[in-house]
Amino acid sequence: MIIDSHTHVDRFGWYDPPETIIRLMNEAGVDQSIIMTYVDAPDVKGSIEYIAEVVQKYPDRLIGYARMNPRRGEEAQHLFKKAMEEYGFKGLKLHPAGNRCHPARQETIDLIRLATRYRAPVLFHCGDEEFTLPLQIAESAKACPDATIILGHCGGYFHTSDAVQVAERYPNIILETSAMPYPGLIKEAVERIGAFRVLYASDGPGCDPTIEVHKVKLAGLTTADQEAVFYRNIKKILDNVTSEAQST
Amino acid sequence: MILDARVYLGHSLFNYGQSLAEIVASMEHLGIDKAILAPVKPRNYHLAPMNELVADAVKVHPERFLGLCRVDPWQAEAAVEEARRGFQEFGSCGLYLDPWEENFQANSQILIPVLQEAQRHNKPVVINAGHVRVSHPAQIRDIASQFPEVQFVACNGGQINISGILQFEARRMLEACPNTVIDTAGTYREDFIEEIMTEVGEERVVFGSGSPIYNQEFEMTRVRFAHLEPAQKQRLWGLNALKIFGAKSR
Repeated sequence: MIIDSHTHVDRFGWYDPPETIIRLMNEAGVDQSIIMTYVDAPDVKGSIEYIAEVVQKYPDRLIGYARMNPRRGEEAQHLFKKAMEEYGFKGLKLHPAGNRCHPARQETIDLIRLATRYRAPVLFHCGDEEFTLPLQIAESAKACPDATIILGHCGGYFHTSDAVQVAERYPNIILETSAMPYPGLIKEAVERIGAFRVLYASDGPGCDPTIEVHKVKLAGLTTADQEAVFYRNIKKILDNVTSEAQST
Repeated sequence: MILDARVYLGHSLFNYGQSLAEIVASMEHLGIDKAILAPVKPRNYHLAPMNELVADAVKVHPERFLGLCRVDPWQAEAAVEEARRGFQEFGSCGLYLDPWEENFQANSQILIPVLQEAQRHNKPVVINAGHVRVSHPAQIRDIASQFPEVQFVACNGGQINISGILQFEARRMLEACPNTVIDTAGTYREDFIEEIMTEVGEERVVFGSGSPIYNQEFEMTRVRFAHLEPAQKQRLWGLNALKIFGAKSR
């Protein structure tokens, strides 16, 4: 079984209808994918509802994360609650390079804490751009020790060492394999922080899930560790998510 | 026929490297017929001995390898002389410039003399592209437009950015400068390779792994699984590079 922890469906930014990722999932042998838009809610009206509609269309294949702009404060919080409670979303996606909201800024921390009340994971775009560096995102992991913080792309091209290092420092950080071009980094991450804290993802459909699956296979993991990376870890995280906010 | 258009030989100051034996073993294991060797920057910073190392490898395996001549444009006239030595004595198939490791901007005026030398010898120029402060695709476009008769190969898809925001600029470079192509190493969004091949030109992309900075076996999957026609893939695997570097098909 394979669950892809990071893919995109969108009709607002880059145009990627759900049928594109479904086709690529079928080619790659991926059973389920977590989808999100390329744009932030509530900046782009209807983006949360669009993901909800798509998940409703493919309930056995697709799982929704809400991509939000924390700068929108209470409006963002209200919409995120609606996504979790009414639409059955399973997580929060943040792309600070897009919305220019630092990972340690109070509005970001507030939104992460809200997601944590649903035990929902928080997937950050984590690469080489300003506001997305592992050391910057680590500040939010430190401020929110109960949150599950996922470093999408594992630090990109040039900040992968920092990604593994902050994951060693903060146990609530999870590393995710999409798009970064180093199979050896997956092996290193598993050895240094444990296979239970590494997730397979593709960043499809732009990055081909078939190629991204091969990247994990080339890492030379044990069968048990490979299964953990391909689906056991994310399944455990998602199974823990609730549709009602828990008291703090 | 598979030709890897960028493989580094030697052990780098920057903690990567591989020997000739390791390169040959990997090529045989993966079914790669030919490779274009680029010298690394060694711990003593001297590029000339590394150019000799590459030339020796080509001499030992002329059917398997071609070699690039690496120069540091900051060395001014000495860089021009080294480029000339590469083309005339070693039969180098092109020039290798690394703005990232030699720390110069890709459109700096210091490049002019070495590019003029490449032009005089009708040799392509491979540039380690996509490093935003020194080899942004807009900078490659700027220098390539000043030398329309020189063929430029921009490494790394011309863009290294995991948000995909540089793709637009890399495509603009390719569209504005018919004398530019990209290699596939590390390219963010594999569909960018498909997009350029189908929408800009089938001759505008070459397979290059950038090994050992990138994993040669993994880099091959970008071509193997690309959603392209068999004839397009043949171009990617080697026909485009053969034409650019003047190599003979085995």
